[in-house]
Amino acid sequence: MTRYLLTRAGQAVLVLWAAFTASYVLLQLLPGDSILIKFQNPELGLSPQQIADIRAYYSGGSPIGEYLRTLSGFLTGGFGYSIDTGTPVVERLGEALPETARLASAAFALAVLLAVVIAFVASYSRTSWLRGALLSVPSLFISVPAFWLGILLIQVFSFRLRLVPVIGGGELQQLVLPVVTLAVPISAPIAQVLARGIDQVYAQPFVPVIAAKGATRWWILWRHVARNAVLPTLTVAGLTFGELIAGSVVTETVFGRNGIGRLTEQAVTAQDTPVMLAVVVLAAAVFVLVNLVVDVLFPVLDPRLKAAS
Amino acid sequence: MSSSNLRTAAVMLAVVGLLGACGGQGGAAGAAPSSDQPVYGGTLTYLEHQPPTCLYLPAAGFYPNGGILNQITDKLTWQNPQTLEIEPWIATKWEVNKDATEYTFHLRQGVTFSDGSPLDAAAVAANFDVYGLGNTELKLPVAEFVNNYERSEVVDPLTVKFHFKKPSPGFLQGTSVIGAGLVSKKTISLPYEQQCQLKNIVGSGPFTLKNQIVDKEVDLAARKDYDWAPPSSKHQGRAYLDEIKIIVTPEDNVRVGALTSGQADFVRYVQAYDEKTVKDAGFQIYAEPTRGVNNGLYLRPSNSILKDLDVRKALQAGTDVKEVVDTLFTASYPRATSVLSHLAQGYVDLSKDLAYDPVKAGELLDKAGWTKGADGVREKDGVKLRLGVFVAGPQPLSKQTLELVGQQWAKLGVQLEIRPADAGTQAVDIKDAEKTAVAHSMVGRADQDVIKSHFHSQNRDVILSKDKKLDTLLEEESAEPDNAERNAKVAEIQRYVIDQGYAIPLFEEPQVYGGAPYVKGVAFEAVARPWFYSAWKTQQ
Repeated sequence: MTRYLLTRAGQAVLVLWAAFTASYVLLQLLPGDSILIKFQNPELGLSPQQIADIRAYYSGGSPIGEYLRTLSGFLTGGFGYSIDTGTPVVERLGEALPETARLASAAFALAVLLAVVIAFVASYSRTSWLRGALLSVPSLFISVPAFWLGILLIQVFSFRLRLVPVIGGGELQQLVLPVVTLAVPISAPIAQVLARGIDQVYAQPFVPVIAAKGATRWWILWRHVARNAVLPTLTVAGLTFGELIAGSVVTETVFGRNGIGRLTEQAVTAQDTPVMLAVVVLAAAVFVLVNLVVDVLFPVLDPRLKAAS
Repeated sequence: MSSSNLRTAAVMLAVVGLLGACGGQGGAAGAAPSSDQPVYGGTLTYLEHQPPTCLYLPAAGFYPNGGILNQITDKLTWQNPQTLEIEPWIATKWEVNKDATEYTFHLRQGVTFSDGSPLDAAAVAANFDVYGLGNTELKLPVAEFVNNYERSEVVDPLTVKFHFKKPSPGFLQGTSVIGAGLVSKKTISLPYEQQCQLKNIVGSGPFTLKNQIVDKEVDLAARKDYDWAPPSSKHQGRAYLDEIKIIVTPEDNVRVGALTSGQADFVRYVQAYDEKTVKDAGFQIYAEPTRGVNNGLYLRPSNSILKDLDVRKALQAGTDVKEVVDTLFTASYPRATSVLSHLAQGYVDLSKDLAYDPVKAGELLDKAGWTKGADGVREKDGVKLRLGVFVAGPQPLSKQTLELVGQQWAKLGVQLEIRPADAGTQAVDIKDAEKTAVAHSMVGRADQDVIKSHFHSQNRDVILSKDKKLDTLLEEESAEPDNAERNAKVAEIQRYVIDQGYAIPLFEEPQVYGGAPYVKGVAFEAVARPWFYSAWKTQQ
């Protein structure tokens, strides 16, 4: 087990380095740079020479030197300064991260709940139209664009029915609509995989055996089928983390929330390289971590895997 | 996520949104104001379209920056937005020598910055030394509104004198603009990166910073001891409101919906197609003029196709401006009749020279040797008549405007290549006349110098001008101490720009705000940034 963990951790570090380097190179290849974008503002009346001076002031010399300097900064936790706002990147991440963490964790919990309800009710139901209807919900959910859903929810629940404010209001009130917006598309793949997993397990020969022994339908589903169906679902749930980050960019912009997603959007607009790099590495780190946790959970949930390792 | 996608979504919503229509109607609109007597207290919730960027004062022209800085700083002088006259504010009086190279300001006594330090001659001198000369060591750039600055001189604690290398008649107005807000000596001596941050900006204005969540919210609180409003203001003493909450709400229909559902009191940037929604809900639209160079398409003579005057004149004659304004905009966007707004100083009506004439346009293109190819696009020596333009992020409905103009030009056999505004590519290509033959832009400022800001090769240089004559005319305007002479020069420049086909003026760009009916007394500076000093709410 220790060796397994060490290998996985080593791979994780490699993935992080690759993510850093790839995004670093890509950002360097983009036309223009944040300094040009920021200082060409004609209001400031700077000449190209002055802009070049400012760039020289920020730059770290040769491209390789610059890369190594940035990399060593990241390794020691110094993400540099946002060129757009002049504040330390760490400070900006520190402000944005808790907001997104709250949003994403609540959305993930809701997504899992939605998925479980859909898959279970569909599997348990004997009414074929209800089953068909429920199983088509994930395809609907995954096709709903987050920005459209967000605006729809705001229009109906905030502006028309006035149930929750989008401006002001408590933290909990502010969370409701964005959480739903983010949860709906994410619940879709989880529900789909869970429902299919349940179907597959039902087809296995041990199920009729248990039924013949007198187990109730609910007992079979909950105790035997679901437990076996949960493994592929777990993998998908780990992968949907990426969706959470992508979805938060849109959701936070629509709802004007100040999280990682909105920070990303602003950093991209301003081509704020230090912030973008930090966001990419952070997202990669969390992604790697979540998938590591999933891998570690596997043997816990499935004793057969423990025996194999 | 582009906002145009979101907008498309909003249209789809118009249908689906009816679902919730039973949930009640504009309740906030129902409360009629009971009296015109201002009330103290209350919080104004103001929704901004974008977060503020760098708050170094000369960069205050960006509206989200100006909306904050206009509340927390005062200026030496006050430009009356109605008459455009310069009136006293922190300076009680001033003298200008005959050739406008020396300005002496006498300051009001007892004015303090919010950190308690005095707003005296030394502080004013320190401010303008930076705005006029910049500071290389602190990375502080020169401000656009100060020309030919030489030095300051503190005559006595309440008298400050400015010396100029050459006549600088625009300077008096320059002391009233948003970017000339006065900050404490401590603030002005900070390096650029520090002055960019709101928490470091210490002004003497009626409001002070109470709390800031970067990129999300700015809370301003009234300064209780404020007692130096412009003398011409009826309202003196502290601001009526206790607090202003400025909340960044990027989504257009969220801002408008929040306003009409009573969740916000005031919003900036109401799109033309949302104006009706706001009005129908009983709310008020404030379309404030920006009094400068009009929103328009600026043709770059340094481009290899547009270097031909006939081609430029053809595009000018072949653009149906009326159709653009009537189709996409509202009465808040008056059709342009010159390069300058009709409210700008020195404006002349050139609408006769700007008449739509597609036949003439076609003839001019024929004359210039551009003949239609099989695909309907004109060609000359194997080169297609294709011109590039960037969607201008800050201009309202820029993409739609360009698309409509593109359709009109297509009929003439001219292809307009519209590129989306990706900041990086734009920053590089906008300075390349071959790639960006046409610029869609405008600039607001209530002084004759605005036309110089827009066209001079050392300023914004929108047309990437290599036209020495234009530069000379603009310099003469900028250095002319006599106001009537200066206006005459501005008129000459407008005629020249139109005659040379450098501009296709579209409309006089306003800043459009929406306000709740119970919000009173919101004023605007001459270039449409809100001033909440005298604002109050009839209901708390």
